[in-house]
Amino acid sequence: MTKTQKQNIDNLVRYTLLTIWLLIVLFPLFWIVATSFKPDKDWLAWPPVYWSEEPTMSNYSNVWGGAMEHTETQYAQSIQKPFTALRNSTIISFISTFLSVSFGAFIAYGVSRYKVLSETRMFQLLMLRMVPPIVLVGPLSLYYTTIGLIDSLTGLIAIYFITTLPYAVWMTKSFIDEVPIELEQAAEIMGANRWTIITEVVFPVIRSGLLATFLFILILTWSEYLVAFILSKTDAVTLPVELAKYEGSSEGRVYGRQAALSVGITIPLIIVGITIRKHLARGFSFGMIRK
Amino acid sequence: MARSEIMLQRTKRYKKMVLFPLILSIMLILGPALILQLYLSFNYYSIYSEGWWASEWYALDIFKDVVADERFHAAIIRSLGFALASTIGCFVIGFGLALLMYKNFRLQWFYYIIFIIPMLTVPIVIAYTAEMILYQKGPLNGILSSIMGRDMLIMWITNPDIALFTVVLMEIWNWAPFSFIIMMAGLASLPKEPVEAAQILGASRIKIFFEIQLPLLRPIIVLALVLRFLEAMAEFPKTWAIFQGGPGTSTETIPVLIYLNTWYYFDWSKAAAMSYIVMLMMVVIILTAINILQKENKRIAQVQAN
Repeated sequence: MTKTQKQNIDNLVRYTLLTIWLLIVLFPLFWIVATSFKPDKDWLAWPPVYWSEEPTMSNYSNVWGGAMEHTETQYAQSIQKPFTALRNSTIISFISTFLSVSFGAFIAYGVSRYKVLSETRMFQLLMLRMVPPIVLVGPLSLYYTTIGLIDSLTGLIAIYFITTLPYAVWMTKSFIDEVPIELEQAAEIMGANRWTIITEVVFPVIRSGLLATFLFILILTWSEYLVAFILSKTDAVTLPVELAKYEGSSEGRVYGRQAALSVGITIPLIIVGITIRKHLARGFSFGMIRK
Repeated sequence: MARSEIMLQRTKRYKKMVLFPLILSIMLILGPALILQLYLSFNYYSIYSEGWWASEWYALDIFKDVVADERFHAAIIRSLGFALASTIGCFVIGFGLALLMYKNFRLQWFYYIIFIIPMLTVPIVIAYTAEMILYQKGPLNGILSSIMGRDMLIMWITNPDIALFTVVLMEIWNWAPFSFIIMMAGLASLPKEPVEAAQILGASRIKIFFEIQLPLLRPIIVLALVLRFLEAMAEFPKTWAIFQGGPGTSTETIPVLIYLNTWYYFDWSKAAAMSYIVMLMMVVIILTAINILQKENKRIAQVQAN
């Protein structure tokens, strides 16, 4: 066998295997989109309907426009408030992520330059993320009820701030570590104080890193289900929790509407994620992997 | 005062300032919840009580009850098994894909973008979509039937022997990209010289992989496994949304069991005692994991520095 033949076989095997996984990845995504355009009768048909012969926009108009037409399946309409959920998700994830990244970045600067947290303390900080939230949400919901934070945006923002802080500190620290210290020394000689050095020298240098950290944590917060599910009732419901409400008492899930809402929830995240794809490994590994 | 002393004082002030919001929010939010959890595990609270403050002192009875509960033991074993199986599954697929892809080729960017999409998808969306796909008369069985040429009617959701495996499959679909991106980064950062040297000496690809690349990648592999395992221990949305612990108790992992005890059986005290035990168990696991990570982190930094 010549070298080119060997390479051709290599390539054939590679593309076959990669394409098989590609199809496995794409099929469920295709199925969400396809279902969102299906009329009720095609949702659970056998043999399965892959693409409806009469595609319809009614799922979208029903979910996002509150339309009342086309609804032989109008159950549970009144409790669904997708726009409230959209507003809540946006407010909660943006504010908690902003707080987490800003405070995280200052802590990270302190750790990187002055060791305000020892290495062991830094690893202990990971606990805030690694202990499964289920062990605390029960008592937390009782406590929130007692102090009036249950079903409030503030309550959710506070808990998301705490649980995403380890990511924020570790990820921004990995960027700050890469800033040459000479830059800060130069600024110091010119008379800049610490606040100016951080906000006008260090942060601008790592601004793309800060943005990546922000977007990365935004993805995590936006998709979080358990905590939001337990700490919200009606007023602070987020999109993932809202999705569970498209369920009838007798007819089961309202798949078409769910799919239409799912598409709306997921597409922004996929776009954001693909934009910061070079930083995803750094984010998920708490900045331990830097390339 | 000497200049170094001034610097030291400033550093101390900075430390207090930046750590203050963290410590404050832990004390205000997590602290009371932890105390309440401990309180509930010693005082019996039910929804018929006037409030949690009006519960009855049970001493260690609740803990004894939980420790003897076989359903709780089963949930712990199930969770560990689930986390282990899905971690290995994610790793094998993720690493496999990374090995096929880390050398530049024409459509690399395209495959990379598609392959990371599952981990960007909201888990609860995955759950509801999977439910549609996995019905006995759903598209997955439809496709399998046409591939196999006979009716495949696997009960992915309703067969108690398969259900937990189905959750593992969903978890792998969702999180194989995690291992994939980490291992891609790991493979990309490997030094080229040792591999080239071995090639010149005539070593086979398999030998190069096992004797050069794998040892160099070890710290990164450990990282990918440890982080995935810890996250899998906490998995809730996919398990809950489709199965609620069923059929029977076949998908009752730790998070599901605690949820059921709190919000279905309203047995808050039992759930609190369970949570406490699970928390202690997880802290031990996490401290071990952190210990491993702390050691490997130095090696990762070395590999990356090349």
